[in-house]
Order: sequence, then structure tokens, then C-alpha cells
Amino acid sequence: MSPTRLPARPGEVIDRDRPLDFTWNGRQVSGFAGDTIVSALAAGGCRVFSRSMKYHRPRGILTADFWDPNTLVQVGDEPNVRGGHRLLEAGMQVTAQNAWPSLRFDAKALTALGGRALSAGFYYKTFMRPRRLWPLYEKVLARFAPGGVIDPDSAPRRHEKRYAHPDVVVAGGGPAGLAAATAAARAGARVLLVEHEHAPGGHLRWGTKRERALGAAVADAARTVGVEILTDATLVGRWEDNWLAIVERDGAGGPERLVKARAKVLVAAPGLIERPYVFAGNDRPGVMLSQGARRLLNLWSVRPGDRAVVWSANTAGDAAAADLEVAGVAVEHVDARAGHTVVAAEGRRGRLERVVLSDGTRLEADLLVTAAGWTAPTSLLNMAGVRPVYDAAAARFFPAPPGAPEAGTVLSTGGVSGDGSLDELVGHGEATGRLAAARAATLAHRLQGATAWAAPASGAEPPFPTDERTPLGRDPHPELYRSSTDGIVDLSEDVSSRDLRHGAAEGFDSVELVKRWTTATMGSAQGKLETVNTVAVLAEATASTVAEVGTTTWRPPYAPVTLGALAGRMFEPVRVSVLHDLHVAAGMTPIGAGQWIRPEHYGDPQAEVRNVRANVGIIDVSPLGKLDIRGPDATELLSLLYVNKWRRLAVGSVRYGVMCAEDGVILDDGVTGRLGEDHYLMSTTSSGAGTMEVWIQNWLQTEHPDWRVRVTPVTDAFTSVNVAGPRSRTLLERLVDGVDLDPEAFKYMQVRLGAVAGVAGCVMWRIGFTGELSYELHVPAGYGPHVWQALLDAGADLGVAPFGLEAQRIMRLEKGHFIVGQDTDALTKAPTAGLKSLIKLDKEDFTGLPELRWALEGEPGAGGPEALPRLVAVQPTDPSYVPPEACQIVATGPDGKEQIVGRITSSRFSPTLERSICLAQVEATHASPETALTVVGTDGRRHRAVAMPHHAHFDPAGERLRG
Amino acid sequence: MAGDGSGASPAQPIRSRRVRTRYPARYSAASLLWRGKRPWPRIWDSGDLGSSYDAVVIGGGVHGLATAYYLASNWGITNVAVVDKGYLGGGGSGRNTAIVRSNYLTPDGVAFYDRSVQLYERLAVDLNLNVMFARRGHLTLAHSDGALRTMRWRAEVNKHQGVDSDVIGPAEIKRLVPALDTSDAPRYPILGALHHPPGGIIRHDAVVWGYARAAAALGVEMHQNTEVLDIDVAGGGGPEGKGPGGRVTGVRTNRGDISAPVVVNCTAGWASLVAAMAGVRLPISTHPLQAAVTEPVKMFLPAVVVSGSLHVYVSQTDRGELVFGAAVDPLATYDTGGSLAFAEELAGHVLQLMPGLERMRLLRQWSGLCDMTPDYSPIIGPTPVAGFHCDVGWGTYGFKAAPVAGEQLAACIAGGQVPELIEPFTLSRFAEGRLVGEKGAAAVGH
Amino acid sequence: MLLVPCPNCGPRNSADLTLVGESEPRPDPAATTPVEWRSYLYEEDNPAGWTRETWYCRLGCGRFFVTERHRAENRFRNPPLGPSGEPPGRT
Repeated sequence: MSPTRLPARPGEVIDRDRPLDFTWNGRQVSGFAGDTIVSALAAGGCRVFSRSMKYHRPRGILTADFWDPNTLVQVGDEPNVRGGHRLLEAGMQVTAQNAWPSLRFDAKALTALGGRALSAGFYYKTFMRPRRLWPLYEKVLARFAPGGVIDPDSAPRRHEKRYAHPDVVVAGGGPAGLAAATAAARAGARVLLVEHEHAPGGHLRWGTKRERALGAAVADAARTVGVEILTDATLVGRWEDNWLAIVERDGAGGPERLVKARAKVLVAAPGLIERPYVFAGNDRPGVMLSQGARRLLNLWSVRPGDRAVVWSANTAGDAAAADLEVAGVAVEHVDARAGHTVVAAEGRRGRLERVVLSDGTRLEADLLVTAAGWTAPTSLLNMAGVRPVYDAAAARFFPAPPGAPEAGTVLSTGGVSGDGSLDELVGHGEATGRLAAARAATLAHRLQGATAWAAPASGAEPPFPTDERTPLGRDPHPELYRSSTDGIVDLSEDVSSRDLRHGAAEGFDSVELVKRWTTATMGSAQGKLETVNTVAVLAEATASTVAEVGTTTWRPPYAPVTLGALAGRMFEPVRVSVLHDLHVAAGMTPIGAGQWIRPEHYGDPQAEVRNVRANVGIIDVSPLGKLDIRGPDATELLSLLYVNKWRRLAVGSVRYGVMCAEDGVILDDGVTGRLGEDHYLMSTTSSGAGTMEVWIQNWLQTEHPDWRVRVTPVTDAFTSVNVAGPRSRTLLERLVDGVDLDPEAFKYMQVRLGAVAGVAGCVMWRIGFTGELSYELHVPAGYGPHVWQALLDAGADLGVAPFGLEAQRIMRLEKGHFIVGQDTDALTKAPTAGLKSLIKLDKEDFTGLPELRWALEGEPGAGGPEALPRLVAVQPTDPSYVPPEACQIVATGPDGKEQIVGRITSSRFSPTLERSICLAQVEATHASPETALTVVGTDGRRHRAVAMPHHAHFDPAGERLRG
Repeated sequence: MAGDGSGASPAQPIRSRRVRTRYPARYSAASLLWRGKRPWPRIWDSGDLGSSYDAVVIGGGVHGLATAYYLASNWGITNVAVVDKGYLGGGGSGRNTAIVRSNYLTPDGVAFYDRSVQLYERLAVDLNLNVMFARRGHLTLAHSDGALRTMRWRAEVNKHQGVDSDVIGPAEIKRLVPALDTSDAPRYPILGALHHPPGGIIRHDAVVWGYARAAAALGVEMHQNTEVLDIDVAGGGGPEGKGPGGRVTGVRTNRGDISAPVVVNCTAGWASLVAAMAGVRLPISTHPLQAAVTEPVKMFLPAVVVSGSLHVYVSQTDRGELVFGAAVDPLATYDTGGSLAFAEELAGHVLQLMPGLERMRLLRQWSGLCDMTPDYSPIIGPTPVAGFHCDVGWGTYGFKAAPVAGEQLAACIAGGQVPELIEPFTLSRFAEGRLVGEKGAAAVGH
Repeated sequence: MLLVPCPNCGPRNSADLTLVGESEPRPDPAATTPVEWRSYLYEEDNPAGWTRETWYCRLGCGRFFVTERHRAENRFRNPPLGPSGEPPGRT
């Protein structure tokens, strides 16, 4: 390696007073602040940065920027870092990727073999037999996978997102983009400008002295008028209504940030990307694009070679030749416009030695600079629905036909829209900025009156401004895509023009097919360097034109974005009841139940069950969904929602109800109490609280908007505590005021309003999910901890203790109460759950009525209730065997084969009965009481069990809860 | 000729007749070396569009091509045209995340997909093209008691059907996929997983090309850029004689009219539009399904990992890229522009599972159109219009079913009767109210 | 992310709302037939063009409203209507 850093030059972006040491493949090297990894390494004489994916050919600098396919490196534990873009930092540990076995070793055998058998898609044509060896082949293929190394154990960092609120967003900070931003801001718009590079200015930054000065001036003007400029940031995607995603990189490799914005108008000014030329040896280190050479020279003062051939078809190439000469490089200028073409770049050991021209001339050189033309990165415009149009005379795609005005809220300016002098580009940018600001103003006026509550903007809406800009011209340019020789079209994927031609001949003759067959354009630059050459080679192979073949769809993101930036911080709410701290202090074992964290138990759920059955226990049931329903039509609403009847429910009573969807499938269940003539408190399942509120609103608003009824979610307004057990009445008698707890005065399935522990406004339901005498207290939420503690204190001598979800689940299973979503599933209709007597088919209407009628009464040509499975209580013959939930129940079918006839939906060991108990869904033919059932354990063993006559394993008559 | 498969008046069923495929050039390691740099013969050829075929298959995706292939290879019906408005495999076939598995929930679903996995396993040999089926193993993570119960339900049904699945705990999950965070630190910790060793990934384009090449070698014609504009139906009860009770007579395309007694709708997200041309209304809503791929890194993810609760599935390809998918977009639309919200949510969920991946970069995202049915199960077989068959409603899981769907639908068309494997999935189940309960296994079950 | 015109809140990100589905009248439950009812339950027009659909302003005002959207181009037309199809009122 020989150093190639030139003495200090005007315009360079490095700070020679700040040297930075870093390592490259373990070796100590250094550069300056302002260097990229690649410029620092190139300054030290490095020419080979990676090896190619398939053939492991050495690769050097091509573009010296973000899109360079050859200079992806590993930095510490970060893979695939763009070495041509990432700024150097002290202490960076940089290693080459795809360097198997090493950067220096020239895997010649592999390359030679590649010439024969490793054609595109070769893997589809072999390794089919023997089938059992394929996993081995696959491992070998996987060794060829490109890319760096990820450390799954690396520590996560914090990522933040930002919402920006600009009127106009300009993508691209070249001269036209800067001019557009400045003009839009001067017209009164809030403007955000997004620049991909580390500083605004576009190609002016590595241009002549005059160009650099102009670039600085337009950037200053933009800042002065208040344009917000994001550098090292990329507008990566545009979706409906100008919803934009911008990724802001931290030049030093810190966390990226995602900026989201809803722009009124988007101005795309991405400039142009230089296109490589395809010829034999075009991937050899030393073959560089004109922009790459100029960037190295003028930004970082790195001399890219000693003896150069500059093959140029345009002024950018000519400028590169001039720059190289100034830097003391011997330059042979070959003019493509005069018909001279490069046919080969020859050399050995990863070094360029000579360039062969179409007339047979051989020129000694260690640097070949090509300037073959441009690709218009129309991605953002494509995402807005604009289809690029090819112009053969200018040899590139444009967003629109010549002179076509741009409609809507996405505009373009700069190189992507046309060519011109610097003054013309700036002028077009300014006109674009003014148009963008005017269109944004019209939209702002329109939005002003869009909400129901805001006053419309004063005055008539200004007309949507038409596009009256003078279009940019189009410079003629020769169509230069492939020479007479074959070369690499996609350097990331190692796809050659021969691969593409053969693919087309094999039948992959559209751009999408050949892309999939060869993987061309699928690499790190996602086609920015490769697509147009792919299209051109395909056009040549199919005897058509570039315009006929057309281009592929550009897909977001425009530049890759880290998962961390996209994810941002995690916002997953955790809900806890107001009693949570008390549960923690009591030593609860928590369990997640949807968003809620609840006590599963406080140490011993079986003991908690025994205590409730013998004494009294209290459980926090605050997550239970609660809806306050008021109005003259409240009863009508309940009749519509539930399968059972509500008109005759007395004030002061509660009733259990089941709701079904329109297909008759059970949606939710719970009790609802009538607190007043037109006032109910409805409870839903905890998991169904949110969806049931929406379900009810949907019926009210879309089917019965005339009903006078208001539904208010009050789940969080109450702390709900169930006091259960034979001593619950005794306990409450010590704390309740204003309610007669005498069993004759406050019966099972009644509701009372009163005070508990001095807290007025409590709702008390006498219900019994656990099967014991029990009262459910709904206490104004803020007083929850007070009431909870009062219950524990007042009942100490009664043996009161808290119990958790697990004890409740055991007790409800002992009682045979089903849980919606566990004992029922997405196809479980109400009759399955033993609700036949609850369903009132003589009601005028309720949700799911027709399906339930057919299910119960039968429909022509289909089965009645016998066709539906049944929910039954099941007890294994072996009382100690608890079949895991979801175990299958099988029976021998008519064909002699074992068939699934049901499954265990709930199972527990019952401390009360001292045996295993289950609920199960089984086919009706196996649901009769005393039916012998076979349960298959998870280990495959068969266990005998029997269907029970009642859902309740314990106290089927319900004497305890009525006591 | 083929029966119409409507079941109403079964035509004389055709006996299964296996045909040996003769390729213009067989693929093998030896032929690769022998041929060297010379190009290969065309993988399929498309001549002029004919005016009459025994069957027209609408949709040149993997389902349409498989149906055509099995019609030709299993039943000797080779006078078949596959027409596609774009290029072969350009829809869902080329946009899916290429996961193959059979760990479904219902016995009907398990039997069906198990047959598909069997066909996939020998597809490379059957089609003489390496479809690169990699049996990586497939993990469906559970983050709640309820999810764990569903996993066990699936495992138990799978075992009963002879399919290899089991529920495993966090320690075993960590052993299989060390990159997963199996601690209780995440908001929704991993409580267990359904482990399905036969599941894996496959090269989706290769399956498309393999079927197309094999079908073409048997005489089936592929017509790309051929858009069906209308379907001719006679004798139906609806306008223009279309709809229930009618019989299909042909299709009209942008390249000319075709007469055919059998027309097969294999158009996935566009299924409703094609069925409407025959006067058939479907229980289908079209939703985009998005997917994304990262830049490649060296292999670290040995299995396919799915989390239903977090709406994400991820696998690493042979090329080193991570391929991600999620649930379908909630917004019904034919627009495939995708969304930023998808990428954001996806990344968030992936990092909940594997926090160490935050420096990996998303390289590309895309969408395909899915034909969602109310019960997350397909619609396959005859319709109320005689001769008009559907192989649609595949939602997000169509790719993994293509071989069996093609095989069985071909049998249905040729044999005149609905085969047992697809009987649960006919269109008539909706009018008869007997839906399939696959939602739990299919919703994000890739 | 497209903007959905809520009659009350104005244009909002679609993630703030829920598409309920195609607006279809509910058959009379007393007189309906299985075929008609299940067509209402399951079948969709699912056009790649204009369709009337119901939206729910989930994170906004909580209103259900009917509007017309072009399902291929994701554009809305007409002022959105109230839940029963009436013009929006101002509240």
C-alpha cells in the first residue's frame, strides 16, 4: 500500500489537525476527521475493499459514496456499514466482509469454475438428487451468503422518533433542491429539506471553485430564511397523502432516528446517479466512476491513481479528467462522444494494468474513470404513482414526457427533471419552491374547515395553482450501456451481462422475470446503479428497446433503515388495578392477562380455594368490563344485545346474559344489573371490555340511531372486589351501611346501592361465579385500596384472605362455568354451551337470532342442534390425572379408525373434590351423561374419562350460593 | 372430456393417467458442466393464443400452474391454456415469504396441508428443478396462556394426524434459536412454542418455474400479458345468462376470445373480480399482505420463527437475508403501495423477540394481495356455474398449499367429483353455515 | 398512510380509524332465509372501484360513518355520511 493523500487542497472536507487512528482487518491505520472509512483507507493506499459474492473477485472503489457496492464493511458489531459514507471515528474496528478466505487470496479455481457452471440460477438446476443430501448442499450455498456478522447479544440502544410538521418537504439538497426550499420558505411555507450527504450542496461540493462557492451560497440562503436542513438523512418513503418517512443517521454510527411528516407538498430533487458501464473487467479495482474519482480528489484530497484513462461521454467525465490532471495524474482522455469505447480492463492480482479500446488500442493505466451517463432515481416519484418515461436522446428515464406539467402535490426539480446550466437549475428550483408553497397554501385553506367544530377559513378557497414553470431542457447523451464484451451488471450480486442474455434466451424475457432469475438489482443499492443497465442488456437480448422493456418497480425504503430506527421506543401499555401495590406487598405471583397484570395467586392457589369454600376470600376483579347504560331505550338495547329477555327484570335485580354475533357464535357474557327504571350497569368479560363497547356503539349508531340511550365505559371508574365464601355476609355486615344484607332482603341475583367502609356510591351485586355466597362490590376507584384493606382488617377473625385468578379459575370450573374464548372458540354457537333455555327465539330481534333459530329448530337440508358439539363436564377415571388443556378426545369411527370427537377445554385438580375435573367440547353423539370417553395425553397415552350429567362438578343445585 | 365437477351430473370420470414429462433439456450437475457457457433451451414457450381449449386456467401463479400441471401429468388433459394478465409468478407467488408447514388446527386442515408438504418434499425431483426446500423447523411462539393452549391444541391434532409437532418450553426454544430473548424481561415474554420440525422455507420463484416448465413440457400453453376481460356463461339465472344455474362456455381476453368448457379461477386477490365475470359472488375481501427483507448477514437464525400475538414471522434465507411478514393489513384495498406503519410495527415486534437485531437494516418492503375469507380457509372446487371452478380464498397461506390444491382440483375437474381432501373447503359451506375453524392457526400462522 | 375524512374530526390517519366493512342493509331477522342471511354475513362485492363502506373513528370521536372509497386508488369521494347515510350534522 502506498499513501495517496495529496497536500492540503482548497475545498477539502478533512481536518488535518485531527488525525484519527482506527484498525482495518486488525491492522492499525489512520485518517483525518472528515474522512469516510473508504477515503481514509484509500489515502493509505488500500485498493481492495471486498470480494464479490459469487466468484470472490477482488473489488475496489466504484463511487466512493453511500451506494458503492464494493465497500460495505463491518464496524465492530455493526454489519454492512457503507464505508464510502460512514465518517471515520477514532478507535473504529473495521473489517472487510465477504473476504472468505481472505481479501488477498485470489480464489482462482473458484473463478474459473464460475465461468463454466456458476451461471445465474445454476442452483436451480442441480443438487436435486439424492434428496437427503440437499441439507448439506444448502449449508455450502449458505457460505456464499454475503454480508457482515450480527451479534444477537449486542446491547439494545434507545431509539426515538420525531414527528415533523412542515408544509413543504424537499428531498435533496443540491442546487435545485436548496433553491426550491429557499423560495418556498420565502413564500411563507414551513420547509424541511432532507440531504443524503453530510452537507448540503449536492455535486457542487466536489466541483470547481466557483461551483463550491455557489453551493455554499445557496445553502446559506436556505438556512437564513429558516429552512430546516437535515443532513446525513434520507427521505426513504412516500405513501398516500404525502405521508413521509425520513431517516436521520448519526454520522458517527449512533442510533438512527425516524422522522415522520405529513407534507402538504413534496418536492423531489434527488439529482442523478452515475451509471457504470458494462465491459470485460469492469469490476476490477481501479475502474471507477467519474463521480467517485472527483469525490476522492476534491473532498478528501486522495489521488485515486497515478496513470489514468478517462473515458467520458459528458461534461462530468471531462471535469474528472481535468481534476486528475491538476492533481498530477497522467491522464489519457478518451472521448465516448467520438465513438471510442472501452472493451476491456485488464490486469492481475486485483490491479488494473491496461485498458483496451474498441479500436484495439491498449493503454497502460492503473485507473480507468468512466462517465457513461446517468440514472434518474425516480423512486419517490414512483411511490407517488408517477411512471418514468424513457428518452433515448438523453439516454435516461424522466418522471414525465417532455414539457408535461406536474399535477397534484408531488413536484420534481433538478437533475431528475432535466438538464441545464447552474443558473437554469437554480431558477427551476425557485419556481418549483414557489409553486409548492402556493399549492400548500390552498390545501391549508381547505383543511381549515374540514373538522366539524372549526370555523372554515375566511374567504373563498384559492384555486389550486397550475404548473406554469418553464421546463428544464434535456441534453443529448449517447446511449452507453454495454460494450462489445460482457461484464458485470450487478456488482453486489455478481450478475453479468451474459447471465442476463442467457436468462432472456431461456425464457426469462421480461425485466421482472430476469431479475428474479439472476437476482440482478436485489443487492445493497437496490438497483440504483444496476437497473437501467439490466433493462438495456435485456432490451438488447430481446431485440427491443429500453423504452419497451421498461423499468422495474422501485420499492421503499430508498435507503436501508435500521430496525431500531423503525421500531423506536416500545409503547405497549401495561394496565394494573389501583390495588396493584397491595397485591405486590401481599406477595402475589403476577400473570399477564391481555394488557392487564393480575395476581395469579399469593403463594398457594389450592389453599386459597379451600379458604373461600370454608371461610371468606376477596379477589380483585377490577379488569371486568363495566358499562353504564342509561336512557328510556336502555332495555331495548339489552334485548337486542343479549339472547335472553330483559323487559321484566325488576329494578334491584341482576341477570346473567350471553351475547352472540350475527352468526350465532358466542361473543361475550356477564351479568347486568338494573339500578333504576332507565339505568343499568353491564359487566362484560375482562378481555372483551374494549371490543364489546365498540360492538354496542356500532349497533346503536348504525342500526338504531333513533334510540335514546347513552353507553359509557366505566371499567376504570370502579375498583371491583368479589367477596366470596360462607362468611362473606358476616364480613360485609361489619362494613356496609344503608343496605339490609338479610338473605330475604338481599337475595341471590339482586343489586343494591350503598356504602362500604364509609365509602358511599358502591354498587353491590349478589352473584356467585365461585359457587359460594358472594358479593361483588364496585367501589369508586380511588377508594379501592381503602375498602380492600378494610375488608382484610374487619375479617381477620373470619379468616379472610385474598385469592387470585388461579383459585377463581379452579372454583368456576368446579361450578362448571365456561369462559368465553377458552371453553368456546370462534365457531361455538350458543346452543353448544348449554344455553338452549336462555335463548328466547320469540323475541322480535337480537343479534344472531336467525342463526340460533336454525341451530335450535333445524333448517331445511341441514342439521339442528344435534349437528353442534356440546360443552360437557368430564372427569377422568383416574382422579389424579389432570389432562392438559387442549388434549384431544377420540373415539373409534365407523371405518374402524380413531377419530377426534372433542377436546378438553379446561382442566384442573379440584382441592374441594380432591380429583381432576374438566370441561370439554365433544360431538353430540358423545355428550350424553355417563358416556365413556378416551382422552389422549400429550405423551400419546390413552386415559379413560366419563361425561358428567351437569356442567357443575360441585354443588350442582347451587345451594351454597343461594344460602 | 373432463367433467364439470359440479357434482350435479358427473360426467364420465376420467381414469387417472400418469404421463412422463419429457423436457427439452434435463437439469443436472453433469448437464451444467457439459453445457458450460452455452445458453439453455427456453424454460417454457408461448405460441399464439388458440381459440379453443379443454380448460382455461386464469392466473399464472403457483396455484394455476400446479392445476395445469396435474391436469396434464395425472389426467392426460394437456389441451390447457394458463393465462395471466402479467408475467408468471408475478402475484402472490413471487411475493410471499415461502414458508411451508402443515401444523394447522383442524383435522381437515392438517390432512390437506400435510399432503402438500409431502408433495413439496419430492417436488424438486418430480419437476427436475431444485426448489430448494429447506426443512429448517418452524416455531410458533406463545406469549399468553391462551396462545399456549392453542399451540397445544394444534400439536395434539397434528400428532393425531401423524404430523410432527409438539409444544416446547423456553429453554428448548433458546437451544433451537439462541437469538431469541426467552427471559421474562419482554413485555410479552415467550412462554412456549409449537415446534414443527417438518416446516421450512422454499424458493418460491423456483416452484413457479418448475411447474411452468413441467406443464409446458407436457403441452400446456402459457400465455403471459393475457388479461381476461369477461367470462361467457349460458343459461344462468342472472343478467346475460350468467350466475347460478349457468354453464361456462369460454373467456374473452385482450388477445382474443377462447371457448372452453372448463374455466378455473386461480386469481387470489383478484378472485372476486374474476368470479363476478361469471356472475358468482364470493365471501372474499381483498387485503394487502406486506413483507420485507433485510440486508444479508451471516447465518444466525436456524429456524422459521412466528409469533401470532406479535403479528410477525421471520426466517433467514440461504442468501443471509431476514425475510419478515406480518398479518394482513386491516384496510381492504387493491393498492399494493404498502405502508410505513407496517415496517414500524414489524421492526418493533422483531426487536421484542430479538433485541440484538436493531442494527440490521431493512432493505426492501413490498405487498401482495390476499383473498381473505371469513374462516381463514380456502374456497376450492365447483361453483354454482357449471364448469367454472375456483381455487381462491387462500388468504395468506396459499403458497404452501399450491401442490395439493392443484393436484386435488385437477382430480375434481377430471374426475367429476369433489375429492375428500377438498370437500370441507367448497364454496357451498358458506350458504350451508358450516365454516372451517382455522382462524386460530392461520391468522398470522406462517 | 391515507387520510380518512371523518365527518367530525376531519382528515385523520387511517391508523386512527377502523374500516368496519362494506355497508349492507341487514335483512329482517324474522323473515330472512339462510341463503339471504349468509350472503349478508359472508359475501362481499369487493370491487376494485368505488364502494360504500362504514368506518369507525376509533381513536377520535368514536363515530361510525359511511363514506365512499375507491379501493384500487384509495381515494374518498362525497362528504362522508352519518351512520345511517344522512349528511353529517355539526355538533
